[in-house]
Amino acid sequence: MQTFQQDCIELAWRKFNRGEVSRRALLAGLAALGATATVGDAAAQAARNLVMVNWGGIANDGFGRFYGDPFAAANPGWRVVQDSTGPSAGRIRSMVESGRVTWDICDSSATSATLLGGLNLLNRIDYNVVDRNNVIGPTFALDHGAAPYSFSNVLVYDSTKFPNGGPTSWADFWDLRRFPGTRLLRRDAAGALDAAQMALGKDPRNLYPLDIRACIAKVREIRRNCVFWNSGSESEQFIRTGEAVMGQIWHTRAKVLEQESNGRFKHIWNQGILQPGIFVSPRGNPGGEMVQRLLASMLSNPEQQVELLKFLGNGPTNPRAAALVPEEFKRFNPTDPANAAVQVAQNGTWWGSVYAQANADYIDMVTG
Amino acid sequence: MSARRWGQDAGWWLLILPAFLLMTAFYIAPIAQVLAISFTEPSPGLGNYERLFTSESVQRVIITTLRICTITTALALLLGYVLAYRIALASESARRWWILAVLVPLWISVLVRAFAWVTLLRRQGLVNNALMDTGIISEPLQLVWNEFGIIVGMVHYMVPYAVLPLLASMREIDPRLLAAARGLGAPRFTIFRRIFLPLSLPGLIAAGVLVFIFSLGFYITPAILGGGKTLMVAEWIGLQILDLIRWGLGTMMATVLVVAILATLAIFSRLVDLRRVFGSGA
Repeated sequence: MQTFQQDCIELAWRKFNRGEVSRRALLAGLAALGATATVGDAAAQAARNLVMVNWGGIANDGFGRFYGDPFAAANPGWRVVQDSTGPSAGRIRSMVESGRVTWDICDSSATSATLLGGLNLLNRIDYNVVDRNNVIGPTFALDHGAAPYSFSNVLVYDSTKFPNGGPTSWADFWDLRRFPGTRLLRRDAAGALDAAQMALGKDPRNLYPLDIRACIAKVREIRRNCVFWNSGSESEQFIRTGEAVMGQIWHTRAKVLEQESNGRFKHIWNQGILQPGIFVSPRGNPGGEMVQRLLASMLSNPEQQVELLKFLGNGPTNPRAAALVPEEFKRFNPTDPANAAVQVAQNGTWWGSVYAQANADYIDMVTG
Repeated sequence: MSARRWGQDAGWWLLILPAFLLMTAFYIAPIAQVLAISFTEPSPGLGNYERLFTSESVQRVIITTLRICTITTALALLLGYVLAYRIALASESARRWWILAVLVPLWISVLVRAFAWVTLLRRQGLVNNALMDTGIISEPLQLVWNEFGIIVGMVHYMVPYAVLPLLASMREIDPRLLAAARGLGAPRFTIFRRIFLPLSLPGLIAAGVLVFIFSLGFYITPAILGGGKTLMVAEWIGLQILDLIRWGLGTMMATVLVVAILATLAIFSRLVDLRRVFGSGA
């Protein structure tokens, strides 16, 4: 049975939630009721959660510390909890279509944002709440997603295999005569075909739209000398164990390889494919509009983005962040002005519009 | 009398009702839903099934899967038969050790086994290093990241599944038949060809069906040992559903897979007693 005291506490919370009393008054009132011991419990119950979904590993920890905690600190009564089940496009679709959405914000991609947005499965980003000026370029703020971090597909190579100087462009990557040895590509059209288009000689500043058919044919030329990766750890293993002498992998893995091999495995930023780490919000998410404020907070915190760079290697996207990056991390920051200038910003919207068919064709070629 | 009989039967049916409802809710209903999606997405009709005849990539996935499964089944049966033959003719105590040796790999995770094969077969792996050190080869052999690697991994997984039904059927062969043939002067190979092999044939077919059906659904082994270049049906379905969100195509292939398995079972159930394959009967 409920005691009088419990009822008082309940009333005090109700008033607080309606905004009739301040937090300070609430705590004072609760203390007066001798209920301070239960404040923690009550606060935990009353706190509302936003569920952020990541792909596991230490992202769970990193996203919690540098995206979730700053938001929770600025918004009393809200918490951000991490879920690392992996928000693939198919799982987002099945969740939204089943009508039981439990995710608020998901670490996705520009192609998935366009694909799922086209199927009306995502919330539109409210750019009255989220500030477009908080990202470095238009590819980082899309209709159905925005990017608090960036990453890049870079060319990594084993320097011991090329004593006379390593490759400097995707044209070199395709040049099996000057640079013999097995190549490594991701089994995903986005990234591989962008590189093929550059190897075909198109101006990187004006790369899109890609000539998909020609690019796939270009990859087919080196297919027999290629292995293909699916997961980041796999890509690292292929290079580390000498299965491939050269590859296109994520810059975070390239950094690990370079540091752990004392510089044997090098990577170049030139013609790297700079991509936004797009977060999307499934339509009908439990936290409602609040998710827009979470995203706004993730984009507007350059200090926390730099901490994430130090912790996980994800590049910041806030224009004020690059200046805050310590010297030793600048070399591995994809959005450092010097690095960003030589890379190509991938056009995620274009990719989203052609992805399903282009990727199916690419995989046909790879497995053909 | 008959009413009372009916009442008795109804009682038994009521007993299995919970299990039946559970199966319907959690197993048959989702499969029916998969079947439904394959006919309704992206537009109602047989469009997805038409791709079986028109799409080169769909055909290639099916042919690749059938090729790998056929080779795997043949090799697993060959190895399994030799092993089962050796075990069936071994002494009682030796047989126990043999069976243990066959069963132990069965308990090791498929993931662990795939990675173990990578360690053995890669360019700088144990096999290539040993061959290079002894000077037999000068360049590393391509032992993995291709169909060869996949088949090695799958055969290794499947041999125990071939041995067990084979062993069961071989142990039912009356040893006195073999002794009688020897007594009548038949050479060893003739005894095997004319007596042992025909009598073990039901076991061979049963093992073949079991291994083939298991192989059709392989996912992890080809994904790890194939180097991304070989796509079998299971991984292809996953790709369509999770990444490309082409659910119509994915569920079509899933349906085809289920139908293919049921058809295989239907055909072979006419040849052998399938209840024995899956462990009941005897």
